[in-house]
Amino acid sequence: MNLNIVGKDILRVDGLSKVTGKALYPQDLYIDDMIYGKTLRSDKSHAYIEVDIKEAEKIKGIIKIFTYKDVPINHYGVVFKDHEVFCREKVRQIGDPIAFVVGENERVCKEALKKIKVYYEEIEGVFNPIDAMREDSPKIHGDTNIVYHYKLKKGNIEEGYSNSYVVVENTYKTHMVDHAFLQPEAGLAFVDKENILTVMVATQYPHYDREEVAAALNLSQEEVKIINTNVGGAFGGREDISLQIHLALAAYTLKKPVKAIYSREESFIAHSKRHPLIMKYKTGADKNGYLQIMEAEIIGDTGAYASWATNVLRKSGVHATGPYFIPNVKVDSYAVYTNNLFAGAMRGFGATQVPVAHEQQMDILAEKLGIDPISIRMKNIFKKGSVSATGQIMLESVPIDRCIEEVVKNIGFSMSVGRG
Amino acid sequence: MKEIKLKVNGIDYILNIDEDIRLIDLLRDKLRLTGTKEGCGEGECGACTVIMDGVSVNSCLVMAFQADGSNILTIEGLEEEGKLHPIQKAFIEEGAIQCGYCTPGMIMSVKALLDKQPYPSREEIRKGISGNLCRCTGYNKIVDATEMAIKYIKEEGV
Amino acid sequence: MELQEVYKGENVNEIIRVLSIYKNEAKIIAGGTDIIIDLRNEKISPKVLIDISNTRELSYIKEEGEFIEIGGATTFTQLIENPLIQENLQGLKKACSLVGSPQIRNKGTIGGNIANGSSAADSIPPLICLNSTITLVSTRGKREVYLEDLYTDMNKTIREDELLTNIRFKKPKPEQILTFSKLGLRKALAISRMSISTLLEINKKGVFKAIKIASGSLGKYPMRELEVEEFLLEKSPDEKTIYKAAKILQESMGKRLKGRSTLPYKREAVIGVFREAVEEGVNWSCERNKIKG
Repeated sequence: MNLNIVGKDILRVDGLSKVTGKALYPQDLYIDDMIYGKTLRSDKSHAYIEVDIKEAEKIKGIIKIFTYKDVPINHYGVVFKDHEVFCREKVRQIGDPIAFVVGENERVCKEALKKIKVYYEEIEGVFNPIDAMREDSPKIHGDTNIVYHYKLKKGNIEEGYSNSYVVVENTYKTHMVDHAFLQPEAGLAFVDKENILTVMVATQYPHYDREEVAAALNLSQEEVKIINTNVGGAFGGREDISLQIHLALAAYTLKKPVKAIYSREESFIAHSKRHPLIMKYKTGADKNGYLQIMEAEIIGDTGAYASWATNVLRKSGVHATGPYFIPNVKVDSYAVYTNNLFAGAMRGFGATQVPVAHEQQMDILAEKLGIDPISIRMKNIFKKGSVSATGQIMLESVPIDRCIEEVVKNIGFSMSVGRG
Repeated sequence: MKEIKLKVNGIDYILNIDEDIRLIDLLRDKLRLTGTKEGCGEGECGACTVIMDGVSVNSCLVMAFQADGSNILTIEGLEEEGKLHPIQKAFIEEGAIQCGYCTPGMIMSVKALLDKQPYPSREEIRKGISGNLCRCTGYNKIVDATEMAIKYIKEEGV
Repeated sequence: MELQEVYKGENVNEIIRVLSIYKNEAKIIAGGTDIIIDLRNEKISPKVLIDISNTRELSYIKEEGEFIEIGGATTFTQLIENPLIQENLQGLKKACSLVGSPQIRNKGTIGGNIANGSSAADSIPPLICLNSTITLVSTRGKREVYLEDLYTDMNKTIREDELLTNIRFKKPKPEQILTFSKLGLRKALAISRMSISTLLEINKKGVFKAIKIASGSLGKYPMRELEVEEFLLEKSPDEKTIYKAAKILQESMGKRLKGRSTLPYKREAVIGVFREAVEEGVNWSCERNKIKG
């Protein structure tokens, strides 16, 4: 078979513009009459607020300061509409947007940010998802902090334990991670000649952005256009709205092009993070090292907003067994609100964290059974025809054995070392 | 306002600048040379790297007035008569680019390295780009591209 | 305060004249790699900036008899590449080459590293081991102070009208070696979590004939580790002795950093960093003694 693409080196279509510095990212856009915007963000984790913009408005060069009062529909979010365009009564995390200052240049905007008075009435916060799950914990939204509970059950748990010769039980924790894409958020919005509100931004989802911008401004989608510029890295961190609605609102209200650029610091507190997980695992195997049972409770800290928490924690639950056949499985995974920075999509989407737990469990089981860590894996990995805990039958190629064999060869793994 | 004179990409400029702007602001906002990127504003990421009087610098850590009298080369000044510099060519061919935001700074660091040390080892290339962060491509392709560029430069006698 | 005036210092006289006028309202900017970040974060807000990065008079490395003198605005790159800062001064070269990144070393200066006063400044422990002095010049005159005293003696700190013009130290004897070891969180662009420099000599009998040790980030400021020096002097550099010395260092830094959250980590790490710095010197000396017979 003659293939045009597969197996050949293909030059990137955008390679030339990127090596010459001509590729445009939102911060590189300049148009006539452009004005600037800067966001005022909360420096408290959980507080009722009152905002006074009077002083700031008087500064020469300030055109308008937007708050929740200026937003037709103040809610948005990729799954649940739990984000506010600007916080109305309460801030739920450090970095929550409170106001958007628009002025003739960045300098006056910065000055105005200092002059906005925010009266914070701090309330008790919750920063550990296990505490947040308790009934008497402070609530971030509504009357429970549990956003999502995924349940997976297969086989017979008691039978799994009675068939096990060794059972190991441990708790694993992973931490929050930032995508740290190299291009901080930036954008430019304007109303074009055909009266279409246009937002130029580096985004992962121009179509979702369009929906959310239109909804927040109470416009039809036909009245809104999103132009995706070059995107300076994303890794999941540009799936949620950042400055799109702020810019659109300002450009639409003022009928002027408005540009904003986040500093690295603002970028860090403005976008999502990888969910930190607490993973309680109980895994059992028989004398020969064949897995019999796995029980896992996975608690994901989604911070102040849900973002993709449901999808992420579902994925953690689905992948909780790792690539191993286990006849008896019980998984409960939860996404929980806290007052930490919100978590959302990041490469792997919840599947990245669970190997920290399931692979450690395998090593510890191997040690207890006096088997080397490679053999215990080879005995239990998915093969063609295996059935996963969710009932998926592996029909196609499942070359995990070949992969492990290659790794063993290349790292010079010695079974005697493995036995430790 | 302060008047400064400097050369950027071979062109002489006399500019009136605000005292508190940085070299990166001068390049981007005044001269609209937006190939030089700002990633962190504190010298950690290297996206703003330019060559100043023969050495690589973070243009976010140089005040514009300090550049008075200096000679600056940015990514826009690498092409000669519409012909790509061998480093640019090699970056495209090796696929050493993804999002592209680190690319201009990375290329300027490679240029500064090769100007000083035409035949670096892989380890020396890694050291040469150690002030530049890349979050997508990873560094192997960039090191490969640098090696290819060394070959091109030798062949072309640039 | 808003930045109102900026000067490019042509020569030392002009710089100190401007300093004498504006005093604490002026700031010297050399490499700018720290000060520009502070300016942007509004941590400092001077009325006047005086740039010394192009002041020729302040950028040099020269040998004067038994001494080496380095101009205050000499960059780390210039130091690393200078033939005078090689061989048994390798510890200073290593410290300078571990600062930040190539870009930062191309701009950052040795005088700035000192004047900025960070406990984590990489170049300072080796310069302290060398018993370096710095020259401070103002319109009132010139004075020389030991770098080591800069941090401990209130009378020796840099005053608002003073310019650090040079650093000077006596070249170590050919049989002495200056070493440096640093722990950063990454290979590049890493601020030192701790650093150790030693200047040592092992004689034919195989004992420490001379030993000086200075640390960075193991206290409020870079400092000599006198207790450890005292313990090692005249002892043989065997593994047990070095380990014992490391434990003494662990004890004294433990007292200094009491209550800090980083202490448990630093207590463990200091053993390895110290050993690396000492062993580098011991190996060099043994090699040299072997060759020289």
